[in-house]
Amino acid sequence: MLTTLLIVLPLASALVVWLAPLSKESTAGLALLAALAEVGLWAGGVINFDFEGGVQYGWTRSWFEDLGISYDVGFYGFSLWLAGLAIVVGAVAIGYGVWVERERARAYYGLMLFLIGSVVGVFASQDLLLFYVFFEAMLIPLYVLVGVWGGPRRVRATLTFVLYTMAGSLLMLASVVAFGIGQGTFSLLDAGQSTNDWVFLGFVVAFAVKSPLLPFHGWLREAYTQAPPEVAAVLSGVVSKTAVFGLIWVVLPHFPEPVDDLRTLLLVLAAATLVYGSLLAFRQPDVRGIVAYSSMGQMGLIMLGVFAVTDVGLDGAVLQSVNHGLVSAAMFLLAGMVERRCGTGDCSALGGMAKGRPILATVVMATGLIVLAVPGSATFAGEFAILSGVFDRGWGYAAVGAGAIVLAAMYGLRLISAILHDARGAAVSGDEPDLRAGELALVLPLLAVLLVLSFWPAAVSGTSFSSGDTATTITGSPG
Amino acid sequence: MTAGAWACLLSPLVGAGAITAAGTRITRRQAGWIATLSVFVAFAGALVTLITLLGKEAEDRQHLSVAYTWLEAGGFRADASILVDPLSVVMMLVVSGVGGLIVWYSMGYMAGADEERRYFAYMALFVFSMLLLVEAGNLLLLLVGWGLVGLASYLLIGFDHHRPAAIAAAKKAFIVNAFGDAVMALGFFLLISRLGTLDFAPVFEAAGNGALSDTVVTLAALGLLGGAAAKSAQIPLHTWLPDAMEGPTPVSALIHAATMVTAGVYLICRTHPVFEAAPEVQHLAAILGAATLLVAGLVALVQQDIKRVIAYSTMSQIGYMFLGAGVGAYGFAIFHLVTHAFFKALLFLAAGIVIHHLAGEQDIRRMGGLRRFLPRTHLAFGVGTLALIGIPPLAGFWSKDAIVASALATGGTLGILLYVAGIAGAVLTGAYALRLYWIVFQGEPSPLVLEHAAGHGDGHAHGAEDAAGHEAHAHAEGPTSMLLPVGALTVLAAVGGLILIPGLWKPLETWLETAVHPLVEASVAEEWVTSGGAVLAGAVGIWVAWRAVSAGRELVPWPHLRTVLEHKLYFDELYDRLLSRPAQLLAARLRDDVEQPLVQGSLDEIGRGALEAGGGVARAQSGLLRSYAFVVTASVIVLAVVFLVVR
Repeated sequence: MLTTLLIVLPLASALVVWLAPLSKESTAGLALLAALAEVGLWAGGVINFDFEGGVQYGWTRSWFEDLGISYDVGFYGFSLWLAGLAIVVGAVAIGYGVWVERERARAYYGLMLFLIGSVVGVFASQDLLLFYVFFEAMLIPLYVLVGVWGGPRRVRATLTFVLYTMAGSLLMLASVVAFGIGQGTFSLLDAGQSTNDWVFLGFVVAFAVKSPLLPFHGWLREAYTQAPPEVAAVLSGVVSKTAVFGLIWVVLPHFPEPVDDLRTLLLVLAAATLVYGSLLAFRQPDVRGIVAYSSMGQMGLIMLGVFAVTDVGLDGAVLQSVNHGLVSAAMFLLAGMVERRCGTGDCSALGGMAKGRPILATVVMATGLIVLAVPGSATFAGEFAILSGVFDRGWGYAAVGAGAIVLAAMYGLRLISAILHDARGAAVSGDEPDLRAGELALVLPLLAVLLVLSFWPAAVSGTSFSSGDTATTITGSPG
Repeated sequence: MTAGAWACLLSPLVGAGAITAAGTRITRRQAGWIATLSVFVAFAGALVTLITLLGKEAEDRQHLSVAYTWLEAGGFRADASILVDPLSVVMMLVVSGVGGLIVWYSMGYMAGADEERRYFAYMALFVFSMLLLVEAGNLLLLLVGWGLVGLASYLLIGFDHHRPAAIAAAKKAFIVNAFGDAVMALGFFLLISRLGTLDFAPVFEAAGNGALSDTVVTLAALGLLGGAAAKSAQIPLHTWLPDAMEGPTPVSALIHAATMVTAGVYLICRTHPVFEAAPEVQHLAAILGAATLLVAGLVALVQQDIKRVIAYSTMSQIGYMFLGAGVGAYGFAIFHLVTHAFFKALLFLAAGIVIHHLAGEQDIRRMGGLRRFLPRTHLAFGVGTLALIGIPPLAGFWSKDAIVASALATGGTLGILLYVAGIAGAVLTGAYALRLYWIVFQGEPSPLVLEHAAGHGDGHAHGAEDAAGHEAHAHAEGPTSMLLPVGALTVLAAVGGLILIPGLWKPLETWLETAVHPLVEASVAEEWVTSGGAVLAGAVGIWVAWRAVSAGRELVPWPHLRTVLEHKLYFDELYDRLLSRPAQLLAARLRDDVEQPLVQGSLDEIGRGALEAGGGVARAQSGLLRSYAFVVTASVIVLAVVFLVVR
């Protein structure tokens, strides 16, 4: 029941916000209130959750019995964490919208809430068709949010995003139908295993577009740099994790054989994404470009953990998904705050902002260090677990991943210094204010969660799957 | 039982957190005091731990205290735990003791600098990280401390963040160390894959009883050595240390002399069972150490920056420690680590007074005759220099000679070669150390020195009236907060070596033996033969340097060799060509030749195709969007309706 409530609350609020003839301020306030209530609801759900107890808070209503389709929702340990990521980052993103006073408020907040609701729906789905519906529903608000509230090249960004995701979605739809019909049920919990490589590849490509993995990332740069910062935060932080969920909950349990057969290809693709993203991040001319490609690299890392299908790797992948979601959201919001001050995100025009802005300096430094996974941080713990997990599949993957640690240090330090250090850039006049209390209130919760996870990464990695036997739990066979 | 050790670990973290959280609500001085006191509280905690351990039987002196499970993934678990044993206690005492003195000194040195609070928060963060490194109860936590000291080092080298040189040096240090971390992590992945754990006891046991294959042990040891060499600036991962001198001088003293850079030596001693199971790697450590001590000693002969001379000297001395650890003389390696922390911190802090006095000048060619104007600093620097050269009975004499004697006791060709390197290094040490001392303090005062002597006279007069400025100008040599720590270190550098007299009086050796048992033990005869040789070598170095410098000549008269040495044997240039530039070129190529044309270009094609199909640019763009949004929305609604109806 709680799960349905978590899905319906934002969706219903979206409808209210959209239809009610309220003023801009009231609309914003109402939307923020709904988002915060959602956070509270989720937190209550975590407290009462039994992390050893399998899928919980379930709710099933059969809809289309002949085909075995049902409205079936509930949370497993790792999906509860991913939903929490969506809810928290979503609330912060709405808060950012309130802070910058987005125009066309009713449509904007309606879409944002609709986005949150459908992402939570994705993470809660225990039925494949329902998963597909939420997956598609989540994309619509994104198209509009980027296309209407985005930067100067927003139309082009939206177009490429639509084209890529449309192609992915069509493939996935075909796979969903083929798999469901073939199994006689769409229930993710009841369906058996399939050995069909083509159905498998349909899913994999769809998720590879969403994450994105090389070479399906063509939409990434434009979408991440042209979207409004808070939408980019949700897009890179949260929406990309639906691919992680899909792979862990749809693909791994139902396609163990194809995963095994194509493992080398998948792992090579993930490793290549990691290196490619990290290298390109190092050469990006603007702050958001660095964050965008670093996100791509990090998704490659997470996928290394997923495709390894080892206990350690999967736990690490979930931990890193949560970490990356929080830190990339924080970084995109900070990029937005810097852009608002200086009118540009161009690295060559920025710099020297640490002087006289102790709060900005501290926050950017802390966030940047977590981006580059400084040892002791939550991202380091996730990275360590993933690489340790993939080591058993071949030391080469771990070696490439270790090389990426150095690359991450290179682009991470470049990111920090581009904003904070050296002489003042051309776009920095010197009287830009330090971070305001309102802005701090947005970034600090994300950083606080990351700090807690740095001191205690086991909170997520130890509770994502029942009793440690992750790979066994997921694939039904020892990993 | 371990409460003292936990307090020792956490106190500086609390200090750093408090300064950060308080922000501008506290004054700069208060921030300085918070940092200093938090580190001295850590020292008190270390003392309590020492006393507790002293009250125990030798075999009961090892305690693992687990707080909670830090990382749990699959079947792998790593706890947040600390290991208290004789080795970690010695390190705790050095880190918090010398650290406390240096943070205290910083209060005078940094007075009036921009963003002083940030400086003290970073210093406290560093001390916490270093304590985490030495107290860590398993290899993963050790790696965390390992990375965090690198972070603090980065933050402090780049403290003057508006200076591009400082930021570049900070980045370089971080990236070289990240490379070391990555190599070490790879070794750990291997251990996890074979043993499923990174706890000390099972790893050491498996290394010792042959449960791990030779290849695995060798690779794991190589991983550890890679991390150790990067952190301790040993060849070939040494290039970051001289550049790190861009940081404030107390930072150089604490991080790049007394503590962090010696972490590699601690690591080898801590994980000695792994190295002993892979003797080739352990010997490689000794060989790297010998090579570094010679190369760094040679380069130090021609440097003109006061801090860089001391930096190369640090590399060279850590080379001795690696040599010691590499031949299995763990106790002596740690002994030299301790005495080196005293005399090298002293040299840096004394150099800091010189730099402070000369308003930031670091070029020794502009110095001279400072003994008249800075008598106390002259004394301190002199004691530090003699201790460094290893003149009895000062600290460096006992520890360095013990290491060289152990090399002799190892025997074989390797032992002889290492012994010769150690003695040759002693000549070099004598030469560069005396050269530095002589140029800076002896001879006639340089124009710069005279100018500042006059300037400080004025400052003194005003200082008496101005209460706030009083401390800063109380004496040309600096405020008491600078002089007292230097005084304390002078005493330690003079008598600190007496905690161990090889062959005769060895409380430190016995103390450490229960934690790390040495592989070699030099006979008393070998000790004294070595000592004689080493002292003679040092004297030769001194004599050569004195002859050259007092006559105004350079130590290395051959111009070609000078050029090579001034370019530090071209390591920087080599890495730039071999690694840095190709990586940048590859990244640029990928961006311009792959990402742009393939991804964005094909997008343009797709886009144009779609536009042409739709006819009319604007209409097509929004039309395509709208129709897709419509189709998807419609299908979602239809599906929902179908579900509801059919149900």
